[in-house]
Amino acid sequence: MTDLAETNKPAEFVPGQPDMWAFVFFETLVFTAYFGFYLFYRSQSPELFLRSQAQLDLRIGIFNTLVLLLSSWSIARCVQSARAGAYRPARRDAYLTALFGVVFLCSKVFEWARQIRMGNGFGTNDFFTYYYFLTGIHFVHLLIGFVVLGVTIYQLRSPAPGVPRSPGSRGSRQELVETCATYWHTVDFLWVLIFALLYVVR
Amino acid sequence: MKAAAIQKAHPLEAPAGPLRHRIVWHCRHNPKRELWLAWWTLVAFYNFFFVVFFVLTRTQPPPNPGWDTPRVVQWFRDNHIGILVGFAIMFVITGMTTMSNALIAYSMRRMSVSRAFAYSYLVLYSLSAIPGMLLMCVALTVGAFRPDRDPELIHWIYDFAFLSFVGTMGVFLIGSLVWMLAILVDKNRVFPKWFGYLNLCNGLTEIVVSPAWIFRRGVLAWNGQIAWWLDMVVFGIYTGVFIFLLRRLIQREDFGTGPLPDVAPRRSSDLVQAAQ
Repeated sequence: MTDLAETNKPAEFVPGQPDMWAFVFFETLVFTAYFGFYLFYRSQSPELFLRSQAQLDLRIGIFNTLVLLLSSWSIARCVQSARAGAYRPARRDAYLTALFGVVFLCSKVFEWARQIRMGNGFGTNDFFTYYYFLTGIHFVHLLIGFVVLGVTIYQLRSPAPGVPRSPGSRGSRQELVETCATYWHTVDFLWVLIFALLYVVR
Repeated sequence: MKAAAIQKAHPLEAPAGPLRHRIVWHCRHNPKRELWLAWWTLVAFYNFFFVVFFVLTRTQPPPNPGWDTPRVVQWFRDNHIGILVGFAIMFVITGMTTMSNALIAYSMRRMSVSRAFAYSYLVLYSLSAIPGMLLMCVALTVGAFRPDRDPELIHWIYDFAFLSFVGTMGVFLIGSLVWMLAILVDKNRVFPKWFGYLNLCNGLTEIVVSPAWIFRRGVLAWNGQIAWWLDMVVFGIYTGVFIFLLRRLIQREDFGTGPLPDVAPRRSSDLVQAAQ
């Protein structure tokens, strides 16, 4: 059992479970493939892509990006507070992250509705297929992010009065909080790439 | 309960000797023989699956959804024998999937999680084989059965078959998520956590297949680079990994209830000790 306990110890070289970094790596590969296909199709019909891209509102894109970067900042603060054992402020930052997430989702739905009103649907042309596909799959990642934030908030709950914490539980809690934060940062990081490709690169 | 059956402290590895003796020993004495049977059935099934779908029937990679009716009729004519023979084999061996699902459910029973995970996985995967595979096999067999049928009907069967096969990948999604959740919650270290997250990656690429219901061309059509090729690569990696990890699970299995040891137990007495 001793060797089991030893292997259970979290590796110290990355924040959170190293396993989550395998997820980050794999998802990055999958998204690299999506981006590769996007760039390939873009090179096939550059004019169509430029014309369609011009119909996106860059301001909404920038707003989305800022909101998600702020959410990353608040989850980072949450991790810091949790490391210091200050669970109340950590919880507050986790809720703040969720709030930024909701603002992002609402603005995305608003943007989709606006594009559909302008006559740009999922099947309108190759660019809009990619636009809805990439923003849609990112949206799904963000929805999972809310479950992940739920786990974070659960880990940061205060123990019931009079119930002593089991030894070592704080370490595993912290590890889970950092694992969840890693997921959230990944979602943010993927958005920055999507934003650059869809809205900025001309 | 298993402890009683393996009371005698004989070794878990076959004694040296001629191959025939070792095989007989495994069949008669190896306490993991049923698990190995399930694992080898799983490996055999995926091999048959590959041969039937990729070689015999030529249904994978999927043909073009944008073809006109004469081209579709031509496709049925070209693959007539392959479809009939391939799917005849498929109908015979489909039952092998039960062993693979059972082994995966067994892995969840070995975890510290509720049995409800294993049960829901079994039910989900048993049902998903119908839209996910069998409907296509039946539909294409019907199409190939009477090559002189009305071409419009043949085209209808073609759409029905491929939409049911590729477009319904989502039915496997929840099963993947159930397995993921079980692995992440488990305290017995049956699978590494990264495999739990790999389940999520696989589930996410299965969502990506759903636009195949809308597109007849491009990356999201049923033969598209994203909807089919990328999904198949991720699924291939995922399947390879879980076959390997299930093998490791059987090697490490001690028939106990606590954390699974990292190394395989050597003697039956180890199993008995762990079980107690």
